[in-house]
Amino acid sequence: MKAQIDGSPSFAHIHIDLDPGESILVEPDAMASMSAEIEMTTRFNGGFVKGLIKKFLGGESLFINEFKNPTNTTQRLTLTQPTPGNIVELDLNNSSLCLQPGAFIAATSGLNLGVRYAGISSFLAREGLFKIEISGTGKLFYGAYGGILEKQVNGEYIVDSGHLVGYDPHMKLKVKLAGGLISSFTSGEGIVTKVEGTGKIILQTRSIEGLADWINPYLY
Amino acid sequence: MKVEILHRPTNSAAKCILGPNEEVTAEAGAMIAMSADTSITTSTYKKEGGGVLKALKRMLAGESFFLNHFQAGPRGGEVYLATTLLGDMMEFETRGETLIVQAGSYVASEKGVNIDVGWQGFKNLFSGESLFWLKISGQGKFILSSFGMIYPVEVNGAYVVDTGHIVAFEETLNFTIAKSAKGWISSFLSGEGLVCKFEGKGRIYCQSHNPNSFGYKLGPHLRPRR
Repeated sequence: MKAQIDGSPSFAHIHIDLDPGESILVEPDAMASMSAEIEMTTRFNGGFVKGLIKKFLGGESLFINEFKNPTNTTQRLTLTQPTPGNIVELDLNNSSLCLQPGAFIAATSGLNLGVRYAGISSFLAREGLFKIEISGTGKLFYGAYGGILEKQVNGEYIVDSGHLVGYDPHMKLKVKLAGGLISSFTSGEGIVTKVEGTGKIILQTRSIEGLADWINPYLY
Repeated sequence: MKVEILHRPTNSAAKCILGPNEEVTAEAGAMIAMSADTSITTSTYKKEGGGVLKALKRMLAGESFFLNHFQAGPRGGEVYLATTLLGDMMEFETRGETLIVQAGSYVASEKGVNIDVGWQGFKNLFSGESLFWLKISGQGKFILSSFGMIYPVEVNGAYVVDTGHIVAFEETLNFTIAKSAKGWISSFLSGEGLVCKFEGKGRIYCQSHNPNSFGYKLGPHLRPRR
């Protein structure tokens, strides 16, 4: 498989050349265009029960699509994301990463898309009761609204809820007021997410909720 | 007309440089600035792009597509054009070939370019997706825009494009509306729905981002209109 990310950082999209027999797991609606030879099949995202958990408690899609090249020549598939922004290709080598709902775009067949209980505090932070964990060995593609920032955390770190894209699985998410009870709401930061542990966090420089908050006063 | 596309691919704008009394036709609302002695007329009651009957036909079809005609003064002039969404623009030229264009992607064209709003090839099948199509032919330059970047695909055989990602395609291509998967149920569940399958030899211009998908992502966060 050969993957090329074009249009970074504003309009990143991925041109994937699938070799004969190769397949890739893709988020619903991420396909923009493809060779007509490529076959798509749809299945529950990690089985029926896990699929339901992901959909209703993790905010993820109930289904996932597999694109497979059944021919004996290379075939092209182009993937994208709903928002303008950047896309990252990450090689996982017997390791794992947690992604926030909506960040996942595609994973090669050596990767497993699992769900893990994230805890009540994650649910209260509106980050979902379960978290999506991608593990194994293979290539993972994830995207963001805006640019993507990575931060190595050792201890505690504060993140605005709408800006978190992903994090190392052994890190914990907790809900927290940005300041005191009054300053939290007057500062415009409100409730934030506290990340605890040692590892990497991934952030996006824009948030859909932020854009919506900006547009809402103009709707009447 | 000379065209310069500025600020590609994110915040594209087209600078159209016109000779004395030269004309350019543009989608209503696209003009952001122009020389002061440029005159504007609208095609619903004038010019070859319109005619009362054609305008009425558009209104009946729910396709309110109005065109503005800009004519430069005796010393020539400039018109700057831009679109609402972030994205790319491209300059095209037709010498008798025909291109089918998603109406939202049309920005502007020279006088010799014909724009036919009546092309019904896709209409009934995409009723949910407020897309309609223009058939562009004739002689001259025209400008198209996209949400995201434009990437061309050379088709020789068969190719599938999600309907929200089509900017334009050459008329030499045959198209059919196809299920995205083998079965109807999985096509529906896949989130890909119906796709457009192009066959033959020709070029498709795709956009990297789908305005509908962005709308579905943003929509739930917007408060209901009063």
